[in-house]
Amino acid sequence: MMMSVEMNHEQSRGEKSVIRVDNLHKHYGDVHAVDGISFEIQQGEVFGLLGPNGAGKSTTINVLCTYTEPTVGEVVVAGHSVTAEPETVKRVIGVVPQDIALYPSLNALENLRFFGRLYEIPRARLEQRIADLLHLVGLTEHAPKRVEHYSGGMKRRLNLAVGLLSEPLFLMLDEPTVGVDPQSRHAIFENIQTLNQQGLTVLYTTHYMEEAELLCHRVAIVDEGRVIALDTPQNLINSLGTGIIRIGVRDEAGKEHPVGDEMLARLQALPQVRTVVHRDETLVFETTDAQRALLQIIALFNETDTPMASLEILEPNLESVFIQLTGKRLRD
Amino acid sequence: MKKLLYVALNELLLLRKDRMAAIWMVILPLGMTFIGGLVFGGLGGGSEAVVIDLPVVDQDGGEIATVVLDVLSQTENLNVETVFDEEMARELVSDGKRTGALVIPSGFSAAIMSGQSAALELIVAPGGQTAPLLEGMVRGVTSALSNVQTTVEVAISEVQRATSSTDLDYAGIAGRAMATALERLHDPPVRAQVTTVGSSEKELDVSSQIVPGYAVMFAMFTVLSAAGGILEEKERGTFKRLLIAPIPRWSLLGGKLIAQFVVGVGQIMLMFIFGVLVFDVNLGSSPLGLLLVTLATCWATTSLGILLVAVIRSRKQIHPITTLVILGSSAIGGAWFPLFLMPKLLQQVARLTLVAWAMEGYNRLMILGGSLADVWVDIGVLTLYGAICFFVGLRLFQFKEG
Repeated sequence: MMMSVEMNHEQSRGEKSVIRVDNLHKHYGDVHAVDGISFEIQQGEVFGLLGPNGAGKSTTINVLCTYTEPTVGEVVVAGHSVTAEPETVKRVIGVVPQDIALYPSLNALENLRFFGRLYEIPRARLEQRIADLLHLVGLTEHAPKRVEHYSGGMKRRLNLAVGLLSEPLFLMLDEPTVGVDPQSRHAIFENIQTLNQQGLTVLYTTHYMEEAELLCHRVAIVDEGRVIALDTPQNLINSLGTGIIRIGVRDEAGKEHPVGDEMLARLQALPQVRTVVHRDETLVFETTDAQRALLQIIALFNETDTPMASLEILEPNLESVFIQLTGKRLRD
Repeated sequence: MKKLLYVALNELLLLRKDRMAAIWMVILPLGMTFIGGLVFGGLGGGSEAVVIDLPVVDQDGGEIATVVLDVLSQTENLNVETVFDEEMARELVSDGKRTGALVIPSGFSAAIMSGQSAALELIVAPGGQTAPLLEGMVRGVTSALSNVQTTVEVAISEVQRATSSTDLDYAGIAGRAMATALERLHDPPVRAQVTTVGSSEKELDVSSQIVPGYAVMFAMFTVLSAAGGILEEKERGTFKRLLIAPIPRWSLLGGKLIAQFVVGVGQIMLMFIFGVLVFDVNLGSSPLGLLLVTLATCWATTSLGILLVAVIRSRKQIHPITTLVILGSSAIGGAWFPLFLMPKLLQQVARLTLVAWAMEGYNRLMILGGSLADVWVDIGVLTLYGAICFFVGLRLFQFKEG
């Protein structure tokens, strides 16, 4: 099943750029929430923005959906500048915000009708659209219930449905699975994949690397307002080799043990080690064979009497890529 | 324009679905007005006359004592109760069960008949508010009896002077003169006739003060609370969702304000209907004036709401601040007590509040029977007040971050 979905992804994707973000900066006083982000999203693509909280993902989406004006940079959505033609951009995008942006005292139908009317959808078509979307997100039976009585997952699914009301060319989802039960999370994934198969271009932000790996054709890893890597998930993972080893270097008193240039050079020279980075009391090794490399590293630590406070062998995945690039975990 | 209407209708739908809002908007104001009307005004708007119960101890039992009891019994607003024990009468007063008691002492009639001085004893509690009223009533009786006695003395003296006879039936003359004079006590030949001219006297109907006062105060609570709802929407994220929908900002904010305005007007009208039905409140003779004062009041309140939301920007702060603004301006603006009862300085300060102008308009129409021409200034000031708050609020209102 997944195979056929992926094949369809490939088939539906074109070379036409739907989104172009060029050198985007967004500053709040001295805080640089976004600090020079650039990327393009092709038609039919599911593009992921992966990064920890505060990396600048939501701010980027806020600019793309015309909610916030950029400090510097150009953002074009379906050929329209978000600053010069915001009203046109609003008509081609759908947004699923991180907040549950619904009226809790209204039921699903009332929420959908109200937001749908703002897009001037003719009454009959709106009713049909509402019925289709409720079916898509599995809330048809719960439609007459007040939203305040929904579970967190149901609210998230309705949040998604509202974002799809206007039949957008381009859908932005900002952390749409935060606080969601596994069943609802799975349902949201299926919804996104189905919509993408039908040709919808998607920008998906998350700090869950599994989600990015599963859903996205390409991923931009962002940290501190910048894109630090951008490629397909597989290419990013392949760039790691076969494994990442993290070793904490602190002595018995809990103080950082100094690792000199000579020690770093010797570690770098080990046959199974591709790169080694020393950052914040931690050595991160990118290896071609994690098991063999580990034996060589331990031998060298023993020989030089270097204390080892912690040891971790990481599977090659996007989390490891992030750690390799930043020395931090996505959910630190 | 259609989208403005959609936003307004959605606001009204949200209000209808909010059970607490229904309590706040309808039940609480009506309940408070009902209680206020009962406490300060009484039902039906009419002020029933107070009847004073007066225990009387007749230790005399004579002819004049009977006249005293008859006269007092016929006095309006006085209910004479015969008590046989003076001690019991004193206890009734000292226990606060009666505001006063009268003792007709033994020998009272004989003293009057023989031309000697005599006194009725009125027992009252110190500081009693009805004591002066009772005293006036009893003094009326003693004054009449003094006149009777004087009349008898003058009659005998004149007969003596005219006849120079010493062999006359003085007791008979005195008795007949006394009987005639006492009769006149029941049917006095000289009366005070009260003639009323012009329109009827304007009695301060408390309900006509309470109903508009509470209506304005609770309308402010409703409208300003709804304005605070914009901050709630900002926190919830629905305001952001509206901003990224293809809807002009003026439609978005205008729709919300129109809904608040309509609700405010509806609430004041509901309070007036309630006032008329339950307290027989007189709404005056200018329905147009009443409508325009109400519209101007709600416009000013709605605009004040947008100004407060623009300045405060935090939902946690807005509720205590709006409560302070509403209660403070209601207290000094005349929503609780008529403005003219307040110190002059406070009356001047009150002019800064929209409540003062609204209440002045309502008082002129509902209590003083004014016309539309009498409330133009109030309508004008309220409209200007609203315009200033609206434009300053709109200028400061932060639609989106950054």
